[in-house]
Amino acid sequence: MKGENTMFEQMKELICRYVEVDPDSITKDSRFIEDLGFNSYDIMSMLGDAETEFDVEIDEEEIIKCKTVGDLLDYFGGHKNG
Amino acid sequence: MLKNIGGISYECYPLSSAQRLNLCNIKEGTTDEVENIGAGQFLQIGVNLAAMREALNRAVERCESMRLRLWKDPETGETWQYIVPYQNEYFEYYDFSEWKEDKITDVLNKWTSQPFDTFGGKLSRIVILTLPDGYNGFYYNVHHVCMDSSSVIAFTRDVIEIYCSLMYDMPYPKPMASYIESVKRDLKYEGSKKQQKDEEYWQKQIALAEPMYTDYTGPGRLMQLRKENKNKKQRWGLLASSDGKGSTITYELDYDSTMKIMDFAQQNDIPVSIIILHAIRTVLSKFNNECTDITITDLVSRRSTLDNKKCGGVRMHAFPLRTIMPLNTTVIESMRMIKKAQDELFIHADYDPLKVFGGLAEKFGAAPGSTYASVDFTYQPGAIGAINDTLKGIGFKSRWYSSGKQPKPMYITAMHRPSDGGLNFYFGYQTECATPEEIEFLYYFTGRVLFRSIENPDKTLKEIIDMT
Repeated sequence: MKGENTMFEQMKELICRYVEVDPDSITKDSRFIEDLGFNSYDIMSMLGDAETEFDVEIDEEEIIKCKTVGDLLDYFGGHKNG
Repeated sequence: MLKNIGGISYECYPLSSAQRLNLCNIKEGTTDEVENIGAGQFLQIGVNLAAMREALNRAVERCESMRLRLWKDPETGETWQYIVPYQNEYFEYYDFSEWKEDKITDVLNKWTSQPFDTFGGKLSRIVILTLPDGYNGFYYNVHHVCMDSSSVIAFTRDVIEIYCSLMYDMPYPKPMASYIESVKRDLKYEGSKKQQKDEEYWQKQIALAEPMYTDYTGPGRLMQLRKENKNKKQRWGLLASSDGKGSTITYELDYDSTMKIMDFAQQNDIPVSIIILHAIRTVLSKFNNECTDITITDLVSRRSTLDNKKCGGVRMHAFPLRTIMPLNTTVIESMRMIKKAQDELFIHADYDPLKVFGGLAEKFGAAPGSTYASVDFTYQPGAIGAINDTLKGIGFKSRWYSSGKQPKPMYITAMHRPSDGGLNFYFGYQTECATPEEIEFLYYFTGRVLFRSIENPDKTLKEIIDMT
């Protein structure tokens, strides 16, 4: 549970590099486009950074389906290297 | 790396891939003004000249790339960039309030056609202007190696916010981000794990079967090239102007029609840029014997992080966006396929585009300057509109001016108007490569295909082509 929360905090920090939002307003249900104001390029670019940040090999076909912060946390949680 | 330039020591940095991409346009035989960006930003309020000069000076001080210079090392021939320290500048002022709009545009186009001394001189010029109907603001000409359209918009917003802060006690804007830091981040990308992954992706794309050139006037140009080269199977095109002479035609889509596109985009979770790309793609297929393999050059602003949005400079990359789809593909499937291809391109958009274009030419033995895409496309999602939030109802107009040269044979920019949010389509074209009639034709069919498509998302591409 602790690892999951740390990852969530890391994810919030990453998101705040891309959009001007209050980190406390980000929840696992926050949708990248509708709620956080990302556009398609922002998301793809963030995923590229997240790959390094979370040390995860992403499958582009799969990752594109992630619409919420929670979706992405689940994906990274399940694909973490090592 | 420290370099001695004119007796002064400057910290110098190599050019970024986006800058090298831009400078290519000069190398290919045109003169330096091809890289000029001319823009005018005007508010419908009286101007306090001293405050405007102060706002412009502060904005230049805050924006490192507005003080960027290039230097060519005489020993190695390598080009370097560096930032000169800020110095207070006295900006000229002209009153055009009694002039007609056409005459003003002519003058500002002429100013935009004045080339900068790319490798040694100052790379921007700003003039304060008064226009008819109570509009005041500034004209701005800058070399593309320093700024791109996203930077111009960010700079404009900064000037306006500083001016409003000085004059109307509004909040002072947050600082711009450092351009040099963005250059350093780009330099770190070289040789990184991310670059390796991007390279793998683009090498896979280059390894695919040869794409097909589809011209916006139909197959005639490719047929002619095949004849000249005595190669009936040639698939690459050569669309280039000897002198880069060009112009821009703007079409304004009305507000209601724009809203139809926006509503469709929202209801179907498809970005507006994809809907337009689908329309252009389908028109190219229609004009080229219903070709199923279409490539469009997709321009990517690469402004995702907050730092990159506010750091100035040029970050725009361009890549071939290739999609192959049978004619029985439905409109909605087509849009989703283009989106998937664009999403992949976006993930790998930090890679050096010149390596991609060079790799394709090398693999297929194409001539220098060859291409598989006759159209370059970019969509600017309402960035100027954000300025309206600051202005709170004050009239604002933004204009782009032409240097008389165009870097690309056909470059379509879709951008929302600051006045009402309707879409403007800017067709930048080289006059040797297109006529105004051909552009009118292209715009007309793009519009027809676009609206038939969003009215009939379950129809196939073949049906849409036949309906239009």
